[in-house]
This record gives sequence, structure tokens and C-alpha cells, in this order.
Amino acid sequence: MSTTWLPCGVYHETYAQDHAWWQTRFIRGKMVLLAFILFAVIPFLADSYGLSVCNQIGYTILGALGVQLLIGFCGQITLGHAAFLAVGAYTSTLLILEFPWPQWMMQWGLAYPVSIFIAALVAGIWSVLFGLPSARVKGFYLILTTMAAQFITVDFIITQYVSQIGGRGQAFSLPPGTIKVGPWVIDSDLKVYFMMLALVIVCVIAVVNLLRSKAGRAWVAIRDNDISAAVMGINVVKYKLLAFFVAGAIGGIAGAFWISNLAAVSPEHFPWFWSLWLVGVILIGGVGSVHGAIFGSIFMVVIMEGLQLAVMPLADTFPKLLMDFLFIKEAAFGLSICVFMIFEPNGLAYRWWQGKNYFNLWPFSY
Amino acid sequence: MNAKKGWANVSIVVALMVLGLVFSPFAGAADIKIGALNDMTGATSDVGKDYALGIAEAIHYINDTGGINGRKIKLYQFDYGYRIPEALTKYNLFKRLKCAAILGWGTGDTEALAPTVAKDKIPYVSASYSGHLCKPEKTPYNLFFSTDYSTQSRGLITSWFDKKWPTKPDYGKRKPRIAMCYMFASPFSSSSIKAAKDQAEMLGFEIGPDQDVSLFAIDTKSQILSLKEFKPDVVLHTNTVMSVAATLRDAYALGLGADNLIKCWGFDENLPRLAGKAAEGAIGCAPWAFYGLDVPLMDKVMEYAKKYNPGIPQEKRTIHTVQAWANALGLAEALKRADKAGDLSGEGILKKGFETMRGYEIGLGIAPATYTPTDHRSQSEAKIYEYKNGEFVLIDAVDLKARWPEKWKNEWLGW
Repeated sequence: MSTTWLPCGVYHETYAQDHAWWQTRFIRGKMVLLAFILFAVIPFLADSYGLSVCNQIGYTILGALGVQLLIGFCGQITLGHAAFLAVGAYTSTLLILEFPWPQWMMQWGLAYPVSIFIAALVAGIWSVLFGLPSARVKGFYLILTTMAAQFITVDFIITQYVSQIGGRGQAFSLPPGTIKVGPWVIDSDLKVYFMMLALVIVCVIAVVNLLRSKAGRAWVAIRDNDISAAVMGINVVKYKLLAFFVAGAIGGIAGAFWISNLAAVSPEHFPWFWSLWLVGVILIGGVGSVHGAIFGSIFMVVIMEGLQLAVMPLADTFPKLLMDFLFIKEAAFGLSICVFMIFEPNGLAYRWWQGKNYFNLWPFSY
Repeated sequence: MNAKKGWANVSIVVALMVLGLVFSPFAGAADIKIGALNDMTGATSDVGKDYALGIAEAIHYINDTGGINGRKIKLYQFDYGYRIPEALTKYNLFKRLKCAAILGWGTGDTEALAPTVAKDKIPYVSASYSGHLCKPEKTPYNLFFSTDYSTQSRGLITSWFDKKWPTKPDYGKRKPRIAMCYMFASPFSSSSIKAAKDQAEMLGFEIGPDQDVSLFAIDTKSQILSLKEFKPDVVLHTNTVMSVAATLRDAYALGLGADNLIKCWGFDENLPRLAGKAAEGAIGCAPWAFYGLDVPLMDKVMEYAKKYNPGIPQEKRTIHTVQAWANALGLAEALKRADKAGDLSGEGILKKGFETMRGYEIGLGIAPATYTPTDHRSQSEAKIYEYKNGEFVLIDAVDLKARWPEKWKNEWLGW
């Protein structure tokens, strides 16, 4: 599935051109417009609720990217990804609250950015630990081992031990002013939004580039047929574990971002349902495409919130609607997955690709 | 192909409509808006559902009796299923709707939102009664109409020491022995343990090993067996009713022989249903009257429960409905006072509403409420009930402020 159709008369003369992300001036123009909307339009048009919905989307994208990489590109099914988000969040929180940073780092506002980086590493390594069984087992067995990651990490280690550090035994709340990036104290939805954009862009670029590299090719080979991949000389175990590492690291970044959004963290933020939710997101967005993780996140968050807003005017007449809304929401989650599996098994990303091609090829669709 | 095209068009239109909805402001009205976060489907729905129904019924009652100085309350009530990300977006939605105050629910959402609430200056009246939320310099906008957990635990221990200990055969021969059962990792369960131990030490108890009982425990035999070596005279339970009932059952079966003291969330109408004979003689703190008891306003609580939720049998309604009424009526009073003073901003509701209350009587069997700018413990009195012969009987009311005025004022705030 080529990702771009070029207008007549555009030819590549070098490999670099052939592999470029944005191959024509028109596409570059579209991306500039997108950047303009993200950085200049939304922040100034949306109120705090709109921004918080955007941040929720960003958080979901960061979570879903790792799941997409594992399931969509490497074929390793995971149902415990929230565990790595939790590891990232707790690593970052503990580093900020308990670690004796040198004064100059505090002054320059480097503690939080550095903690994000370390959180990514720790979550990545933790993820590799639970990815080890993938060397031996596949499919259904692997699902169970990744679920074990969720319960061992969140329900046991974090709830029983990590959340007790400092005698708290409860939610860590980060005092105002502790989350600083350089000179900026992250204390408003707008600042969280810009941080979210930066992290999402960095992670998306990293994942897309990885997929264009040797590792990405190996992952896709393993996904399509691990035996053939091994025959071709790909070190299957190594690349599987690398996929787990990268997915865990992105999860860690997502978790570390989450604490800035709330200024508090507790084990209750990372339930097993969230792991399940992230898999739902990529199913709807489209498995095996970075676009899929983004579209799925937007769809899931916005549709759910939109449903709620649509219900509100009706609530005066039917007060039970608001009270029972969550059941409708849960049902909508399940229903949308079913509907997508039936009508659009390739997800929203495929629909997007088709839409673009329709315009690219018009009026001669060949 | 055409069908597919049609489907694509429909989805584009829907997406645009939704976007339009998300980014469109709501039309405001003269009503006073209140947001409510409740759990009717999540981890705490066993007690949360009744509370949520109570909130909606209480707001109906307030509107039927003149609202806030003639203005109606518009309630936006959401079930967030005890999911924190959900609580956060709902909170922002309440902000956008310009809600004057929020009726929150559990320790999870209350603690997670506390820093944000303080920054945005929106009064947050929750069903988490943690003593940590009573210090205005730390959490100025967190309030509740109940005896806080720490005061409850202190009151329970004191009452037992006054009333029950002198009736025991070993009275005067040795120190009384106390042990505590709670979930170590739960912020809710463990929040008052420090205060309880402090009180027990002050009264000269010997304190036994703490027992870790999960909120989801169905079998606690190993904890009870390790307690048997210590031979406690009394055990303090700070979990919710399901695990407290399990602990009581096992203690009864294994013949532990200690009296039981229970914090408010473990002491409701479901306890005897779940624990059977083991609940006999259990002593608990209930800041409000049990559903159906003869106290001021209870007739209204029952009337509105029948009127708005006729499908739920009366015997299924519990004290949590009464709790919800207490929070809703208390908030309404603060709004009335702030409205009279002509300042319905968050700060106005706090300073000219809540913090002007001195011995305010709500009814519902709850002690008078007082808030000051330096102390948000609304009550100093712990009402102690005993479950005897199938009924909850009020046996004591310990006023900690009256008994230890110095410690109450200088030492016990905020933990």
C-alpha cells in the first residue's frame, strides 16, 4: 500500500526523494497548515474544556503508539500496556519528589524533562522483562503474560509498595511549581497542551523513522511470518524484545506526561480497562499504521465526549440519561469496535488513505 | 461502492457535528449550576449508587423549597465509573459550564483534583471525609458535611474506653489492648490510622500489630489468627462494608472475642445483612442518622426517595442517601449565604458562605457544622451507634473539642 500517489510528471531521481515524508509542495503546504492549526488556532480558540479534551487525545495517542508498534507492526499482542504508563508516571513522580537534584538543575527547570527521559528508559526495561516470554510463546499465551504485567505491576508492586514511599500510602500529589520545563511552570491546560504536542510530535517522528529503518522492516517481517523472518536471518528474539522496549519507553513517556496534566498520581489512574481501551483505539484507528493510532485516539475521545454533550440537552427531559450515560458509553465502545470490524476492518486510517487517493486520482481512477 | 461512499459521507458529517458541539459554548441561564461526579458503575458503586440517587433527590427538594433565594439549581450529574481520566475531563466540563460548586465523590477523584480545585477556586464538597482535607492552607476548597475520619476514629476509641472497658473483667488490672484492620495501600482506609494510634496511646492502650485487609477481602482468617496471639479487647476497622463484614464474620467464627469499632463507610444497613450474627454488638460512628430514623428532615428524604425513585424498595435505601442530602443541603446553605452577600464566585461561596457557618443545624441527625478560615473540620462531635437486637442505637456522642480543647486546636488539624 503506497502511501502517496504522485501527480503526473513528478518523478524521483534519488532514494532520498523516494523516501521523503512529504514529496510534493502541495503536501508540504498541507502539513504547514496542520501545524498552524495545532499551534496557533486551537490553543487560542479552545477553552479549558476543549484543551483538556485535546490533552486527553494526546495522552491516548502516546499510549496507543506503543500498542500500535507491538500489535500493529510486530504482531505481539499486548493487554497490559497501562502497566508501563504507570511505571513511567511513578518513575517521573518519584524522581521529582524524592531525588536530590543539584540546585542548578532545579533552577534551570531540567528535573522534569530529565525524569521523562529516565521514565522512558525504566518503563522500556520493565516492558522487556515482560516481553521475554514472547521469545517462546505467541498469540493467546502472550496475551496472558502481558496481562500478568498489568496485575503484577499496578495491582501488586505499585499499590502495595511504591505508593507507600515517603510514608504516603496514598496518591502522590505534586506541589504547584514542581513540574517545570525550563523556565515554564506547567500549571495550565494550555501549557500542558503545548507539552503534549511536543511529546506527540517527537514520539510520532521517532516511531515513523524506526519503521523506515532496519528494525522496522524486521518487525513487519516478524509480524507477517516469524518463521520466514528467522529463515531470512532476522534475529527474531532480539527484534521482538526491541519492540517491547520501544513500546514500553513510549508508554513511559505517556505516563510521565500524565502527571503534568493532573499534578497527582495514584494506582487508580492505571486500571486494566485502560490497557483494553488502548487496544480498542488501534482497532478502530487501523492496525498497522501510525495514522491509525492518531485517528483512533481522536475518534474515541471526541465521539465519547460528543455523545455526552449531545445527551446534555436531552437530560432535562430524561434525567436518567445522564446518570446512566456510562452504560451507553461502554456500549458505544463495544459497538464501535463491532461496527468497524464489520464495515471497515482496516480502520479509519484506511478510509483516510482512500479519501486522499480519490482526490489524487480524480477524474481517472486508475 | 455507493454504499461505501454514503457511509464515508455520513461519518464526515457526524465528525463535523461532534466537533461543532465540542467547541460550541452553551447558552447560559439564570440558574445556579452545580456539577456532581458520582460512581454508579465503578469500584465503589456498592455505596456510590445510593449516594448518587440521594444527591439528585436532595437537589429536587432544594428547588421545590425555593432554591437558592429564588434561583433554581441546575444539576449536571455524571457517573465517572471511578475512572480518574474521566473525572478530569468532567471537571473541566463543569468549569466550562461555569458550575458554582462541585459535589464530588471518592478519595481517588478528590485527592487527584485537590491541587486543581485550589487553583481554580471551585468549592468541592466530597464524600471523602479524610482529615487531610481539613487544613485550609493545604486544601482550601475541599469541604464536607461530616465528622472527618480522624475525629471518627478518635471518638470511637474514646467512647469504647469510657463505656465498654469498665465493664470488662480485666478492667483496672492491665492496659486495654487495641488492634487495627485496614488496607495499607488504600488512601481511604489508612487515612485515619495515625490519628487512631495517637488517641489510643494517649488513653493508655497497648497497640497490637496492624492487619492488612484488602477492600475486596472475602477471607480474613489469617489476619484474625495472627490477632488471636495478641488477644485484643477491641479492633478498629476502617474499610468499607464488604470487607468489614468479612472480617467480622471470620472473627466471630474463630472466636476472637474482641469488640468491633467501625468507621462510617463500614457501618451501614448492609452490615447486618452481610455479617449476620457477627454484626451484633458492633459499634460504629455514623455522623448522620440511619435511613428512616426519627430525626428532622428524614420524612422529606423518604418522601423524595419514593417520589423520584419509586422502583427502588425502601428497605434497599441506606444511610448513604442521608449522607448525600447532608452534603447537598450544606452546599445549598453556603450558596444562599454567599448569594445574600452578593458574591457567588468560588471565593465568595467559601468566605461568605461556608466560613460564616457557626453551629449551623442541617437536621438529618448530624451535629451542627462550623467552618472557620483556619479550620475546615465541620464538626468535633462523633456520634457513636451500637447495633443491638436488629437496630442501630445511639449510645454516645463524644465531643473531642470540648474534652481536649488544646489538642483539638493546636495538634490535631490536617491528619
